[in-house]
Amino acid sequence: MPKHDTPLLDELEKGPWPSFVTDLKRQAEKKPECWDILGQLELSFKDRITHWKHGGIVGVFGYGGGIVGRYSDVPKQFPGVAHFHTVRLNQPSSKFYSSAKLRDICNLWEKYGSGMTNMHGSTGDLVLLGTKTENLEPLFYELTHDLKQDLGGSGSNLRTPSCCLGKARCEYSCIDTQALCHHLTMHYQDEIHRPAFPYKFKFKFSGCPNDCVAAIARSDFAVIGTWKDDIRIDQAGVKGYLKGDYIPNAGAHSGRDWGKFDIQKEVIDLCPTGCMWMEGDTLKIDNSECTRCMHCINVMPRALRVGKEQGATICVGAKAPILDGAQFATMTIPFIKVDPDNDFEEVIEVIEKIWDWWMEVGKNRERVGETIMRVGLPTFLTVMEITPAPQHIKEPRSNPYVFWGEDEVEGGWERDVKEFRKRNAQ
Amino acid sequence: MALSNDELKAAILNKAMTAPKPQLYIKDFYECDPDTKPRAVKNAANDLVKEGKLTFWSSGSTTMYAAKGRAKDEELRDTAEENK
Repeated sequence: MPKHDTPLLDELEKGPWPSFVTDLKRQAEKKPECWDILGQLELSFKDRITHWKHGGIVGVFGYGGGIVGRYSDVPKQFPGVAHFHTVRLNQPSSKFYSSAKLRDICNLWEKYGSGMTNMHGSTGDLVLLGTKTENLEPLFYELTHDLKQDLGGSGSNLRTPSCCLGKARCEYSCIDTQALCHHLTMHYQDEIHRPAFPYKFKFKFSGCPNDCVAAIARSDFAVIGTWKDDIRIDQAGVKGYLKGDYIPNAGAHSGRDWGKFDIQKEVIDLCPTGCMWMEGDTLKIDNSECTRCMHCINVMPRALRVGKEQGATICVGAKAPILDGAQFATMTIPFIKVDPDNDFEEVIEVIEKIWDWWMEVGKNRERVGETIMRVGLPTFLTVMEITPAPQHIKEPRSNPYVFWGEDEVEGGWERDVKEFRKRNAQ
Repeated sequence: MALSNDELKAAILNKAMTAPKPQLYIKDFYECDPDTKPRAVKNAANDLVKEGKLTFWSSGSTTMYAAKGRAKDEELRDTAEENK
């Protein structure tokens, strides 16, 4: 495959930062089709339009997801990328894998694909970029039989579940995110590999309200670890911070001298609900007002710890689309037990209630958050059999009308309106 | 009364072959039997894919179903254009 002149792309090699153009040129020495990627991208820069088409019937037998069809709309000019399908691999929970496993995946991809990867895609998957249709089945065979890896989700499927490091490495984690992520991945294999819904559906699991996987912003169903009781305070630890024995923020942001630690300025004044104060050198917290922002715990981890009665908050309906508006998830269930001993049955019950409703009510290509917005949160809470809590209310109502449910009105919607009006006609 | 699984599969296949649009969303099949739960319709459609009678068409973000041979396939289209 010939090299192409790429004066516009070459500009991207001039900065002090790593350049994907340099990487692609290096890869093209081994995989000549990479010259055609550069050539087509240069043409897109000139034409100011993409030359990729996406979608099609490509896939592997028995699966309805995991492969995203990509085609060039100028295949004669760039035959190396006439087909350039994307393969999504289900990453292990918390993305823990050995370097040997990564080497095996890369070797397999050199054999059947372009060798280019995206570690990781924003979905969380290990993304392998660029292969031909005829390579898909042999790739899938070796992937599943030799490497014991599986494809991830795409299309109207349950997408590859993703989680934070959880209890493996983080003392803040209130739930075992890896166990939950792995269990639900195995439990919902059919939904991951075959389309099931009006549109995509994503699970993400964060161990604490720091929400390191941004579940609240990116997933239709976010499980975020939290606690029900009080923040644990070690007053000796607080004194340690006050005396300067411990470095605040566990040493983060230590690149410059911030001066002496000031608990009033750096912790108490920054509490969003103002629920902390000092009495002498004793730190007090009104836990009923705590909104789980995690700031105080992040700043003073040797003095403050998450509570002992742990579980999760479930938020539903986030989306982060390229077009149209991004939307945060809505807090739906303030506290739920997350128990590996009963195979997370409480969480599964909530998931399936949402799915049953959304599969029926959701429109084509409508995310669950959009369905909730369309029908209204009160309807969604009724379906979920959840009693509204003050935290479900975004703002005091400005509409003077009162909307009644049918069961709240004498005679329901079926009563004789004419008779009612006759009685009130005077 | 809800259709039996075989009757439901026959109704889905018939719709996929006769609908004006070649590619259909899963919700388009719900009307084959309004008494059947959406999840059962999805399972029946996916069984038909396994049997080779329906095929998935995926844009990457959305998946649609088509009777075998009716889906818009980029490779087939490219080949057809080359043969013109």
